Amino acid sequence: MTSLVDFLTDSVLRGPTIGSMLMCIATALVGVILLIRKETLLGEALSHAAYPGIVGSALFASLIFKTPGADEGMSVILGAFLSASLGLFLISFLQKKVSLHSDAALCMILSLFFGVGVLLASRLQVTHAVWYKQISLYLYGQAATLVDRDMAIYAVLVLITALCVFFLYRFVQWIYFDRAFAKSVGASVRKVEFLVHFLLILSIVIGMRSVGVVLLSGMLIAPAVAARRWTSRLSMLFFLAALIGGGSAFLGNYLSVNLPLLFHRESLALPTGPMIVLVGAAISLFSLFFSLESGLIFRAYRMRAFKNRCLLENVLKRLWKEGEKREFSFSEIVHFNQLSSLSGSLLFFKMRCQGWLQRKGKGRYRLSSDGWRRASRTVRLHRLWEVYLVDYLGQHADRVHRSAEEIEHLLSYELERELTRLLKDPKKDPHKQPIPNDHESLLG
Amino acid sequence: MHALEIEQLTVSFDKTPVLWDINFSLPTGRLCAVVGPNGAGKSTLLQAILGIVKPLSGTIRLLGEEARKVQARVAYVPQRSSVDWNFPISVLDVVLMGRYRKLGLFKWPKASDRDAARSILKKVGMLEYESRQISQLSGGQKQRLFIARALLQQADLFLLDEPFAGVDMATEKEILELLGKLKQEGKTLLVVHHDLSTVQNYFDWALLLNTALVASGPMEEVFHQANIFRAFGKRHALLEEVARLSGDVL
Repeated sequence: MTSLVDFLTDSVLRGPTIGSMLMCIATALVGVILLIRKETLLGEALSHAAYPGIVGSALFASLIFKTPGADEGMSVILGAFLSASLGLFLISFLQKKVSLHSDAALCMILSLFFGVGVLLASRLQVTHAVWYKQISLYLYGQAATLVDRDMAIYAVLVLITALCVFFLYRFVQWIYFDRAFAKSVGASVRKVEFLVHFLLILSIVIGMRSVGVVLLSGMLIAPAVAARRWTSRLSMLFFLAALIGGGSAFLGNYLSVNLPLLFHRESLALPTGPMIVLVGAAISLFSLFFSLESGLIFRAYRMRAFKNRCLLENVLKRLWKEGEKREFSFSEIVHFNQLSSLSGSLLFFKMRCQGWLQRKGKGRYRLSSDGWRRASRTVRLHRLWEVYLVDYLGQHADRVHRSAEEIEHLLSYELERELTRLLKDPKKDPHKQPIPNDHESLLG
Repeated sequence: MHALEIEQLTVSFDKTPVLWDINFSLPTGRLCAVVGPNGAGKSTLLQAILGIVKPLSGTIRLLGEEARKVQARVAYVPQRSSVDWNFPISVLDVVLMGRYRKLGLFKWPKASDRDAARSILKKVGMLEYESRQISQLSGGQKQRLFIARALLQQADLFLLDEPFAGVDMATEKEILELLGKLKQEGKTLLVVHHDLSTVQNYFDWALLLNTALVASGPMEEVFHQANIFRAFGKRHALLEEVARLSGDVL
């Protein structure tokens, strides 16, 4: 089993590990920009559009050299860069001059370019099999072949990306938040757009070696999407996305080397590129489900908690209407509210825990002062809302009960004060029922 | 002096004219309402004045000069619904956008810029929210934020796109007071407004628009039944048809 530190120091492992970490940091930074400009599909289209450039540059090089040499990497980068740029140009041409819908233009260029790439590749396979093998690495990525020299090249490219992001930070934020206003104050939207596109293509040519053109858009988007779930500050978004990107790359490398050793199964030897993407996707999924503000799990929990509160307040209200001095047995409480015995016991238990029910002799209970206040506030909100709907919004008194049944559980103390002020502290609701006030009891 | 002079302005999107041969001028120091039905080109008029959309033809003169030269003295409040309020940006950062012309490309706002932004936030009663993310603001606060950003531009001509849309009465009153103060300082304001019942009370000048100009002038002269009818009625159906035809041959 290889230790974590070895991945950063070992002369064979550090190339792929650090190399792909650098790549994923670059793609993650650019991915954040794509996310906030709401053009996540552009990464997918342009990474595929880079493929014919990769194959083309190999075809071209195969005419000059017999076998792939050390400089093949640079020519591939150049080829990919040119072909992705051409793709970008054609996409904007289709959108602006031919008024083709954005999605249609992206899909068209994606499939067209990728198709041409596959076509060229099949030709290369027949004529120059060695070269074909070399370029097919770029399809799904082959981080394992990265050496120290590649690491240095990618380090420089990542540095350029990070610097650009740093300098562009505020303009990216301003322009993509409010393009019309930015234009109105004379911001050079086109210059910033140009730089952003340059960065995107740069990150694609950086990333294609470790993750491959087919899966690359995953590493553009996954870290940004995951990070967005945890923060709404842009600076933090960039930082977290870079962290998640780098972390995915490291874990991807780690798992791809260690999984077979861990389970003593050769069949688990998975390639690094897809592994990185899988790790990134897993982190995104985790964030989508478990993030604090908008995660599905917590949202479900909050909804459940709200439903419970409604039920509880409704039961309290029902008991309140029986009067302050009235005592109940457990079966009466269940019966009044038409509860099943299970949910009845549960609610009963909760009300006891909250101290809303007071024990008065064997099996007899009545509302405690806390319980009474809570219930009377719910009724107050219900009736205040009815007054608001009828007097202020002019709705018919017969139609307001149902709405108030829901709103009574929602209104905050601030809104209650606001309503009281707005309606000049009414004493009666539209059905001539008294509106209880928090501190004074009606019957006592 | 005229703050705004527009001659024979025509703007079209995708061959469909949105504004058709507009001529009017607005004297300095007026609070002018732009009124018209949906799709009448009200927002487009503002954007053409700002130079965001390029007109097909016509000339626009602002503050007595060629529009291009004085863009820095024009402030803009876009429609609140035109942006994504979940965008990751803080209240103070939005206001600082109003400082863009002083900053230029690649320069970060300095402490003095931040102080200026804060004093404006205080003016609109939003200082305590300065470090909040905009997604946490209420509708009225969002509108006041947009107005704060425009105030920071320290302009002479203000263009506001439906500043009263979807805000509560208290905010509407506050915004109206702010606009009144700007007018007293001699600024000129052009405001797209939807609520016909308040036009006469809020504004002193009116511009009725329905692709073509229906009327423009002092409120009491132009804002009457006949003109409103013309602006919102179907009178312009024929004009629209002709405009569409002329668009087809472009």
